Amino acid sequence: MASKPQAAANQRFVEELASRLRRRQIVGSRATALETLLVLRQVVSKARFSNIEQLVEIIRSVGRRLVEAQPKEHSVGNTVRKVLHHIREEYHTATENAPSSSTRKFSIAQFVRQGQPRRNPVVVKSEGKPTLKENDPDDPDSFARGLKPVLMEAIQDVFDELETVYDNISKNAKDHIHSDEIILTLGMSKTVESFLKTASHHRNYTVIVAETAPSYGGRAMAQSLSAAGISTFLVPDSSIYALMSRVNKVILGAHAILANGGMFATTGSLLAATAAHSYSTPVVVCAGQFKVTPLWNLYHEYGALDFGDPSAVLGFDEGDLVNKVDVVNPYYDYVRPELVDAYITNYGDHPPSSIYRLIKESYDDEDIDL
Amino acid sequence: MTAKETFSPGDALRDVYTRGLVTGDFVLVHGDLVSNIRVDEVVRVHKERKKVDRDAIMTIVVKECGGGGRVVKECGGGGRTRSKGDSSVFVLDSETSECLHYESVIGYPPKTLTKIPREIFVEHPDVEIRNDLIDCGIDICSVEVPSLFQDNFDYLDLRRDFVHGVLTSDLLMKNIYCYVAKDGYAARVQDTKSYDAISKDILSRWAFPLVPDNNHPSGHIYEHRRGNKYIARDNSVVLARTSKIGNNSLVGSSTQVYENAQILSSVIGRNCVIGPHTVIENAYIFDNTKVGAGCLIEKSIIGAGVSVGNDTKIPKGCLIGDGVTLGPGLQLEPFERLSKKSERADDEDQVAAQARLGVDEGIIVWSRPNPTDEDSDEDDEEGVENSKNQRFLRIGDDAEDLHFSDPGSESSDGEEDSSDDDSDLNLGNLPTSSVTSLDTATIAVHSSELVAEKEFRHEVNLSLERAFAEGHSLENAAVELKTLRMASNVPIARVREAVIAAIVERIPIVEGGGIPQRKEIANVIGRWGPLIGRIGGFDAVETISELQAHCTTSSRFPLFGQILAALYQDDIVEEDDIRAWHRLPSSQGGGNEEMKKCWLIGGRMIEQFDEQESDDQDDNEDESE
Repeated sequence: MASKPQAAANQRFVEELASRLRRRQIVGSRATALETLLVLRQVVSKARFSNIEQLVEIIRSVGRRLVEAQPKEHSVGNTVRKVLHHIREEYHTATENAPSSSTRKFSIAQFVRQGQPRRNPVVVKSEGKPTLKENDPDDPDSFARGLKPVLMEAIQDVFDELETVYDNISKNAKDHIHSDEIILTLGMSKTVESFLKTASHHRNYTVIVAETAPSYGGRAMAQSLSAAGISTFLVPDSSIYALMSRVNKVILGAHAILANGGMFATTGSLLAATAAHSYSTPVVVCAGQFKVTPLWNLYHEYGALDFGDPSAVLGFDEGDLVNKVDVVNPYYDYVRPELVDAYITNYGDHPPSSIYRLIKESYDDEDIDL
Repeated sequence: MTAKETFSPGDALRDVYTRGLVTGDFVLVHGDLVSNIRVDEVVRVHKERKKVDRDAIMTIVVKECGGGGRVVKECGGGGRTRSKGDSSVFVLDSETSECLHYESVIGYPPKTLTKIPREIFVEHPDVEIRNDLIDCGIDICSVEVPSLFQDNFDYLDLRRDFVHGVLTSDLLMKNIYCYVAKDGYAARVQDTKSYDAISKDILSRWAFPLVPDNNHPSGHIYEHRRGNKYIARDNSVVLARTSKIGNNSLVGSSTQVYENAQILSSVIGRNCVIGPHTVIENAYIFDNTKVGAGCLIEKSIIGAGVSVGNDTKIPKGCLIGDGVTLGPGLQLEPFERLSKKSERADDEDQVAAQARLGVDEGIIVWSRPNPTDEDSDEDDEEGVENSKNQRFLRIGDDAEDLHFSDPGSESSDGEEDSSDDDSDLNLGNLPTSSVTSLDTATIAVHSSELVAEKEFRHEVNLSLERAFAEGHSLENAAVELKTLRMASNVPIARVREAVIAAIVERIPIVEGGGIPQRKEIANVIGRWGPLIGRIGGFDAVETISELQAHCTTSSRFPLFGQILAALYQDDIVEEDDIRAWHRLPSSQGGGNEEMKKCWLIGGRMIEQFDEQESDDQDDNEDESE
């Protein structure tokens, strides 16, 4: 039995996604999250297990394999954690009639207890329903047969959530953007794009887009926004600070939101956030819940910013110069929590200081290390 | 699958063909390739092209290196990986990027000229001549490629033999295309120098996503630190507090670095020990090697399991084989190569070398090219095997004393375009090749080439004599000549010269001249004249020039005018061709009496043409009146 999770992690479709992640053929938080989910669905549908621990171990080993393949795409691990969380929940509702719904109610008395790592009483073997019998020696597959439809539904829920993430984030857009405001944004973030477009149905406002070198995602963003009829300015990155005094709000996308309330975001975000901080301009970050990552970046690890190919910054054509200088091209900036004023996710709006709560609600503590 | 009896890419492809392994188009790469270029796009382009042009058998992926055709002494970044000793000149059609001509350029002796067949300029109005392309060693090949190798059993190298052979052959009629990759990284680890350059590129992330902290082939995980330092992630590396790891370095797992040791731009393998106060700069040290205290290692490659004693100095360019024990207190000279003793018997040189360096017995000191002897054997070795050329491939050797310069192409587009103008004809010894100067110096015709040419001449004469005697058909004679040309690799002009000479000599001289002589000439030209046109690359103006040149040295000199007239009668040359030839300054002979006479004869003929024309006009006028 011990070799089984290993075998699951080595299945062909898992291997294929792992190598695509490693070769960076698939990039972007949402794309990787969707692909991960598809692989997990296949894994679960093919898995053979006779109790919940086996299933969890199979999924974790697949998750570990994928995360190792590309540790910089945090949404892979997040998706695995979320699926595990949902599976456990479904399992509890299936095995117990009334799961610990009482603990969900908020009261001061329970506040301290909720801060503690929540221990899921996983090994409660109360066979509430006769159809779901774990470790049945006569028919080892009966448990899997009974549980699988529910699990598929659970995965489908996560899938639906990913599909509708932009709409759910954007639905409150008009509460955040007011008429005649000047908004600054940068990079090409689908979330921010749909957020701004939704707001433009109700409000009349101006967007300043920074070019965001060296990827120049800002150009695509400006094109798309102006095509949607929003009054848009495209400015070079260097003028962000100069323009900040006129900006009412900075709206950014994120690559990953960390547990301390900080985030990894496209290069240039730190520049914009720091400039906004010095003018006390609010910084609002739009991101799906799947970007919330149980990571702290306490030691400001250098490599976490994911350094790419320097040719985008200083190409071969610069000739001799390239041999004499070390060129770095980080994909992301680490933006500290104190520079962010609010996160808008599909679960609602949160201050950076309460991101840890979001993590606790979305994932189980035992999955933080996959 | 590995094949033990293959020693060249050509052998390998022949092996692939005989085993019938490949049934569709395939991507051919070298085993030493490091690349992040997306091949799918290239394959798509290749497939599309194949639908249009069935003869497109191969697409070569090349990479632009910096400078875009300007002075490319040593290209930056990725250009570090362009080896000086072995680059190439590509002639591409600007529109279709078809590769029209390929010539490899070796570093020493410096190549100053490249010969480009004139036909290219006739057929393609727009060509690019580039020597700023890095050959990535990625080819998209059609099924035919292995079978072509099978047919041409002497092809060894994919570029120098195969590509050159296919492009210069006018029997195969196959096309090769290039795909110029604008971005991406590709380089081949061909020698110690490129090993060094590519390692540096990988460490400074040019080959992203092929970087040590991601995608390591054997699954090691490295932590990427500021300044492109990579330290194994499993917490097993011991770095002393006072040790210094410089930028662009990598330290493998379980390696220990002691106090005040410095590792600068170097790669250290796993389980190594670097002693205190040792300085390692631009060096590559493989697994399980122990370096003692106070050593200095520069620009060298140290194998696995080597033990270097205290206070040993290993200067630039040294290669130390696996398992060698050195020192303590040893001082090597630059570019020394040491390895562990195999079964080879000692000879006196070995003992002397061991004594010179003070290494233990049981270590082989490989002999090295002595720079002082090199002038004497300069001409012995041709091509890439030349020892000076080898120096371009050596780690740590900047070869400054060889004054390698690559000043780029001096010829402008204007010059290239004008090369099919008639003015180029006065390049006496290179009549059909336009010459693009890569440097101001000129190249001397090798004596060996002359010998080969003489032999070829003889062969052509024999073959023509047979044809004349046995009355072969024109087609057969032409094919025979073509094959001869292939076999001895001479330009088409030589063949034409030889054919004209043979035909002229064929004409019997009739005493007294007059009508019978003219009849003989008409007979011979009528029968064999079209052969001149059949051998390919026909150019009427050149034909006349060659006829003129031959007649001046032959006993058939007086017949020049009549032969010319016969050629004109048989429509082998046209009136305009004769006029064009007559206008050429070289046709006047430049002081040569006979040449001058021929020119005058030509002049008379043109006068006749003029008269005829005016007669015609007169006739017309008469008629109109």
